[in-house]
Amino acid sequence: MKEAESFGDQLVAEISRVLKAGGTVLVQSFTASSDHKPNNYIERQLLMGGFVEVQSKSTGSHDGVQSVTIKSRKPSWSMGSSSPLKKAIKQALPETEIDDDGDELIDKDSLLTQDDLKKLQRPVVGGCEMGATKKARKACKNCSCGRAEAEQKVEKLGLTAEQIDNPVSACGSCGLGDAFRCGTCPYRGLAPFKLGQKVTLSNNFLSADI
Amino acid sequence: MAPSSSPMPGRLLVLYASQTGNAIDAAERVVREAERGGCPAVDLLSMDSFNPSCLPGEGYVVFVVSTMGQGDPPDSMKEFWKYLRRKHLGARWLERLHYAVFGLGDSSYGNYNLPAKMLDKRLLDLGAEQIIPKGLGNDQHSLGYEGALDPWLMALWKSLNQIYPSLLPRISHAIHSSLNILGDAKVEVTYYSAPQDSTISDPKTLIERARSISPALKCHNEGEPQLMLQMVTNQCLTKGDSDKDVRHFELEDRCYPISYQVGDVLEILPSQNPSAVDDFIKRCKLDPECYIMIQEKSVDKLSKGSHMNSLVDPIKLKTFVALTMDVTSASPRRYFFEIMSHFATDENEKEKLQYFTSPEGRNDLYSYNQKENRTVLEVLEEFPSVHMPFEWLVQLTPPLKKRAFSISSSPLVHPNQIHLTVSVVSWRTPLKRTRHGLCSTWLAGLCPSEENIIPCWIQRGSLPPPRPSIPLVLIGPGTGCAPFRTFVEERAAQSVAEPTAPILFFFGCRNQDNDFLYKEFWLNHAQDQGVLSLEKGGGFFVAFSRDQPQKVYVQDKIKEQGARVLNMLCSEEAAIYVAGSSTKMPADVTVALKEVLCQHGGFPKKDVEGWLTKLKMGGRFIIETWS
Repeated sequence: MKEAESFGDQLVAEISRVLKAGGTVLVQSFTASSDHKPNNYIERQLLMGGFVEVQSKSTGSHDGVQSVTIKSRKPSWSMGSSSPLKKAIKQALPETEIDDDGDELIDKDSLLTQDDLKKLQRPVVGGCEMGATKKARKACKNCSCGRAEAEQKVEKLGLTAEQIDNPVSACGSCGLGDAFRCGTCPYRGLAPFKLGQKVTLSNNFLSADI
Repeated sequence: MAPSSSPMPGRLLVLYASQTGNAIDAAERVVREAERGGCPAVDLLSMDSFNPSCLPGEGYVVFVVSTMGQGDPPDSMKEFWKYLRRKHLGARWLERLHYAVFGLGDSSYGNYNLPAKMLDKRLLDLGAEQIIPKGLGNDQHSLGYEGALDPWLMALWKSLNQIYPSLLPRISHAIHSSLNILGDAKVEVTYYSAPQDSTISDPKTLIERARSISPALKCHNEGEPQLMLQMVTNQCLTKGDSDKDVRHFELEDRCYPISYQVGDVLEILPSQNPSAVDDFIKRCKLDPECYIMIQEKSVDKLSKGSHMNSLVDPIKLKTFVALTMDVTSASPRRYFFEIMSHFATDENEKEKLQYFTSPEGRNDLYSYNQKENRTVLEVLEEFPSVHMPFEWLVQLTPPLKKRAFSISSSPLVHPNQIHLTVSVVSWRTPLKRTRHGLCSTWLAGLCPSEENIIPCWIQRGSLPPPRPSIPLVLIGPGTGCAPFRTFVEERAAQSVAEPTAPILFFFGCRNQDNDFLYKEFWLNHAQDQGVLSLEKGGGFFVAFSRDQPQKVYVQDKIKEQGARVLNMLCSEEAAIYVAGSSTKMPADVTVALKEVLCQHGGFPKKDVEGWLTKLKMGGRFIIETWS
């Protein structure tokens, strides 16, 4: 090769296509003795093209021109051939569940009664502990049923300036703290306050300022 | 898993597997009733802190297990459960064990209480003796799981008393225990108004002393902090409108050299906001300046406890609170609310607290407390008539916990510094209250030009330091890149003296311009024959999830570079390490790796799965995640 730059992606891909698995490709490059860059470029191209065992050897120098042979191999792990990984994978343990120390485990279903087995539901869906964490259902991102609008409305029921400056409470519980407030109380989320006094909005912000 | 201590004659062990805290509440109740019944030794442990191979040595165990999702065991039960299912254990393995199982589930979901059912059957098959048949708590019951727990506990104590009477000498107290009777606190506090002759002033000693007398930290055995570090660099790695704030911290020890290794984790004891600590002390009508001594009350007056503590110096109350009682971040347990109800003088408050601790109020308590991340201080401020004696506060306030961070520096390159990559955590609760991570926020506020003290311990992490000759496939999006910065730094230093194997690193973040952590660092090592360079057989690939209309993640990059990944995996001894803070990412990455092996390598799926499992077993495929 006279000009390393012509050793482009397409050429490498074509070489890979026609070469048999396990086959070798030799690239001979002639460059000025001091210049290593073209060889590096060729090596990289081969690596990126999926060739392995890339080796460069200097094969002579003549009139200030260095000749370098770059040898590499097309990997041989296509279907049917045996490579270290293929062997390793074949020898891998069968699909039964195995413990970290290599012990085989009993089948979980064998521990259930006929009744339980009949009612068994699969597949497994990751989730929360049952019961206590009944999460509030939210509208989907592309909501078309109107739930999103309804939620937007509720959100906008924030506090008015009047409610902040002079809080009054018909029920008397608004100033008490979240434990005592109704589900629809506009003051939910705020610290307890005294009715009639301006409400501070800093939300129990306990930052660690040292 | 920590090995359990050798079983004392007559010890009752309560093992729980909880996901959202219900099983812990139930298990704590079992313990309280056993103690009321005069049980000489009761221990409460999470299943993931008990080594299952020690089970045959136990005499009496009560299991309290929750159900997760579609009939799955909680995370803390997984390893334990796997061990129990080993084929070779045999039908006589647990022949000396008496046990009982209580499960928590919800019959409106499928697969009702499966973990408890399977556990009960397996224990029987292993030769254990069932004290009473399993109890199944059902959320659908009008009284929740207590509907089943109440009668089950009664039956348990009665049966146990027949088998082994000395385990519950005061059984009548256990059976007739009513929620309205307030028992005694577990500790005794002695107060001294003036400092004693020898007051501790060394911060390391103070920490060790305070935390060793705290009953809530009883099983932790931390000792003194190994290091008291100074922050010398506090640098923000994220830019722009990024709502992420990730910091690069450099910590130094002013006095001693630091000894650590690649893959280690730094445990930090955070400082609490001093004014919040003051507010707590004021709210509880305590004297911050007085000195205290804490002793465990024990049934047996001659126990070691009382002797040992009398030789220990008293400690300032304020110091004890600041160093051991978490008043501004952790949420209290249900039992805390129960004891509060005994000390509420206002009728409304008392009623509310009793409601919260009743079976009917359990869901509302969960919404109010856990979902809102209520702190002890906040709760006490919302129930101002409650005046809990300090003994109870000491016993029931959640302990101040250490926080662990993967170290992101190599000791070869930074022999006297420890670097950390920390995301400053903040979030909004359902009621839109802003919460901040205690430790990350505190660290972010530390100023390198001022003196600061960061108490630390060094622990081995789960990612082992790889030998230089091992090719590595590393996947670490976001702060998951922290341990891999260590690996790359270390390998780069090693490559000066000896040939090293290449590294293929997949990183992920949202935007190239905002949160591309350590961009220069990675790029430097990906050029000029660096350990991440293509020339060396390595590679560095980044997924910017939000820089284009469709989402691109690390798993997509892995698939894109399938040939290269396959090449690496084919090398002898190659290892795959995955780190990060997402719970979904490791599963997605594993799927991508399998796809690469199947498609590029042409291997059948079953073989690939077996091979990856083998790799896991051999410690060559490790996933380290944090929440």
